Amino acid sequence: MTDLPPPSPSAVRQPGWRLAQQADAPFIYELVTQVDPRWWRFSRAGLEPSRLLATAGTIAAGVIVHDALQRPMACGVLADAGASGTGTMEYFARPTPEAEELARQFAPDLVIAAFSGAPIRRLYLERFDGDPRLFGDLEDEFEVEVRYPSYAMIGGVLEGRTVSVLTHERFAAWREARS
Amino acid sequence: MITTSRIVFRPVLPSDYPRLYEIESDPETALTWRYRGELPPLDAYEPALWQQTQQIMVVAGRQSGAVVGYLQLHDLDLRAGHAWFSLYSGPEHRGSGLVMEGLMAFCEWAFGEWPIRWLYAHSFEHNVGAFESGLRRGEAVRLGVLRDRMLVDGELTDVHVIGIERESWMQSPLRRRFNTLRHRLER
Repeated sequence: MTDLPPPSPSAVRQPGWRLAQQADAPFIYELVTQVDPRWWRFSRAGLEPSRLLATAGTIAAGVIVHDALQRPMACGVLADAGASGTGTMEYFARPTPEAEELARQFAPDLVIAAFSGAPIRRLYLERFDGDPRLFGDLEDEFEVEVRYPSYAMIGGVLEGRTVSVLTHERFAAWREARS
Repeated sequence: MITTSRIVFRPVLPSDYPRLYEIESDPETALTWRYRGELPPLDAYEPALWQQTQQIMVVAGRQSGAVVGYLQLHDLDLRAGHAWFSLYSGPEHRGSGLVMEGLMAFCEWAFGEWPIRWLYAHSFEHNVGAFESGLRRGEAVRLGVLRDRMLVDGELTDVHVIGIERESWMQSPLRRRFNTLRHRLER
């Protein structure tokens, strides 16, 4: 009996992220239903599939975070990227501790991708007060600019919603401090 | 329709479109409004005007009948119970208070006829003065300021987010006074 050689690094499956594709639509739909109504862009008008697909078509770019088995765990999108050099990041994970932890692990990579993939000077994050914190300690770098009290009913309670911003400069300083 | 001593607040008619187009074409403010200076031609104006819009109400002078401005209810979100509004004034009527009187009629109409808890508006830094008295009196609240949010005529400008809550409007002395005066007029 001979020993098997160890697997080459490229053969070892790792968690990671990749660009979203058309084939990810069923996962995104499932994710929206799992966190409903927190992904407000999709949930605000209900979950009729064709409407949801039409909304997905308006998004500039998306990424999928996957686990070691390549199963999709979270999705991030860059929306409303426009001529004013701003964009809105929306990021949701399956509502499990494992998926949320993976999302937190890769959040900085996604923010780097957002700032480097588009000419963005201010990256907005809109969230309900009860949304899970998927950006980890990076979330503290987002500064709240708008606060909507009692924005929408979630689980029988009116939750507030905030709009926060991360500037390119503030993100660069955060990266510098970590390197 | 709501009538006061100075204005008539009523739904828009297709015959009003050329006047609305004229208001939006004003070069002083065309860049700051939603078309960012790229106003569609008149024959393509109607679908652009109604995009994401539930209703448009015009403010006309009571004596003249001339449209002095208009208000737009848009991005209605029934699941959350809120909607956005935009307010447009003809350049020759800015500062007259006619369109702000129209805003009172708009609040009365919107909260009276739509199941919404909040009305929101975006206002550029240089226009936000129009809301200051409402902010001081408490009918409106400033929910925040998006710093350097928009590029207007090559310069970055702040965008204020203004909110009017149903309960605040319903209980406001301004509303009582507004309705007392208009009901007196109806008698």
